[in-house]
Amino acid sequence: MARLHVARYLLGSALTGLWRNRTMTGGAIVTTAIMLITLAGFLAINDTLNQMVTALGRKSNLIAYVRDEARPTQVTAIIDDLRTRPGVGEVQFVSKEDALAIFESRFVDQRDILDVLQSNPLPASVELRLNDPSVVPDLAQELQTMTTVFDDVVVPLDVVEEVIGISNLARVAGSVIIIALTGVTLFVIVNTIRIAVFARRQEIEIMKLVGATDWFVRGPFVAEGAIIGGIGAGIAAIALVVLYAQAAPVVTRIVSFLPVSTDTDFVRNLAVFTLLVGLIVGSLGSYFSVRRYLSV
Amino acid sequence: MIVLEDVHKVYPNGTQALNGVSLEIPERDFAFLVGPSGAGKTTIIRLINRDETVTTGSVFVEATDVTRLRRRDVPQLRRRVGVIYQDYKLLPSLTVRQNVEFVLKATNEFDHLSDGLVEETLATVGLTRRTNHYPHQLSGGEQQRTAIARALVRRCPILVADEPTGNLDQESGWETIQLLVQLNARGTTVVIATHNRTLVDTMRRRVIEIERGRVVRDEPEGGYYG
Ligand SMILES: Nc1ncnc2c1ncn2[C@@H]1O[C@H](COP(=O)(O)OP(=O)(O)OP(=O)(O)O)[C@@H](O)[C@H]1O
Ligand SMILES: [Mg+2]
Repeated sequence: MARLHVARYLLGSALTGLWRNRTMTGGAIVTTAIMLITLAGFLAINDTLNQMVTALGRKSNLIAYVRDEARPTQVTAIIDDLRTRPGVGEVQFVSKEDALAIFESRFVDQRDILDVLQSNPLPASVELRLNDPSVVPDLAQELQTMTTVFDDVVVPLDVVEEVIGISNLARVAGSVIIIALTGVTLFVIVNTIRIAVFARRQEIEIMKLVGATDWFVRGPFVAEGAIIGGIGAGIAAIALVVLYAQAAPVVTRIVSFLPVSTDTDFVRNLAVFTLLVGLIVGSLGSYFSVRRYLSV
Repeated sequence: MIVLEDVHKVYPNGTQALNGVSLEIPERDFAFLVGPSGAGKTTIIRLINRDETVTTGSVFVEATDVTRLRRRDVPQLRRRVGVIYQDYKLLPSLTVRQNVEFVLKATNEFDHLSDGLVEETLATVGLTRRTNHYPHQLSGGEQQRTAIARALVRRCPILVADEPTGNLDQESGWETIQLLVQLNARGTTVVIATHNRTLVDTMRRRVIEIERGRVVRDEPEGGYYG
């Protein structure tokens, strides 16, 4: 019962304060929403890039062509060793005969080319499927040094490296922008609450003189900050869900290889995360501004 | 029980307000604090409520050493000392009733918002017909009575009134004092800082006279002038 009274009092004072100061409140809410939308946007982009790296890695093959004179036991030993390596998925041996069969099936029309040849010109090969594309460069180099076994090592390196590069860049740029935006948001919330504190300085004085506890004086302001953060986050979350519902299918259609997360779980988690960040930033911002400017 | 021991108070701007004040006001006492303007009466009241801190010396309220009070224990002290301020400190945006309710909310006494205490208190100071007025719609005396109601509603064991009759005519001033006398009879320690000579002379109660930051007279049944 008493708790209910306190809660109602806190909420009531907070809402009165926000309304009394509505221009600043609106600005703070919009700033918070923009910060959170950006934050969520970067998280979504980051997630997409991560999935892309994984997907490309899954597709990426490393092919080592085996010399005709290489000893089969040696090749088998290498294959067994490769299977134990981290980041390596499947390892497959493609014999000269297999290679020929594949060639024939793929180029049915040009069979006669092969007919004129006396022997099978296609080399045997070891094909690796990688789970982690970042191991590709080292692995390729290692295989390349085994000149007695392998003739040549082919790596579809460029794309993977580029995506990893972009993804790292996005992460760094995203972090910088998010830190800056969080700073701006905190600044706006702190100032909004400062004004609210100033508008209520008489009330605060009386509260303190009659023996209100620090948290009771601070409470309504922290609630104001939490409400600003919460509403800002709510707007951001709604914008996020709507934008995602609109954008994801379009993006997927245009660049079909992009594995954009379309599952609702991802968007829901993002929305919940956004809300939490909003509430935390709002409450913390006002807590510190009251602390600083009230000295209660 | 309020005890001041050799209290000196120098305000940050260098004004020496108190210059070695020692006094003792036992529980259930009724005392006037008199002296010329600027003598240090309000300063003494502020020290008791820990609204200001001493420069040197000590202040005790009940068993509490006010000068060594931890910050988080200050509210407990202030809840036991009700102060009626010289400048009322009413909130202009709240009605008479809301001003009284405000202090109950501030000290987390929500239960008393709906048990008739507020109405009873407003009736005691004769403001029943002014409950929905804002401070600027009240006469000086009505504002003063609102300030008194706001102190009464808190039911503190110690009540300190800074010039409570300043804005009242002879008759209303007299009524206010009668109110404080009744409270005192029911156990409240009452301290009144005042310039009201007639009042002090008529009452013949304890008088502590302050002059230039010192106690110059302390009589159990005195008049305004010694
Ligand atoms: N906050 C303050 N800062 C600096 N000086 C102050 C402050 N408050 C009071 N003073 C000074 O301290 C001295 C005592 O002031 P105080 O208010 O205690 O007097 P008082 O006895 O209550 O006077 P009055 O009868 O006019 O109310 C005065 O000289 C006053 O100017
Ligand atoms: Mg005074």
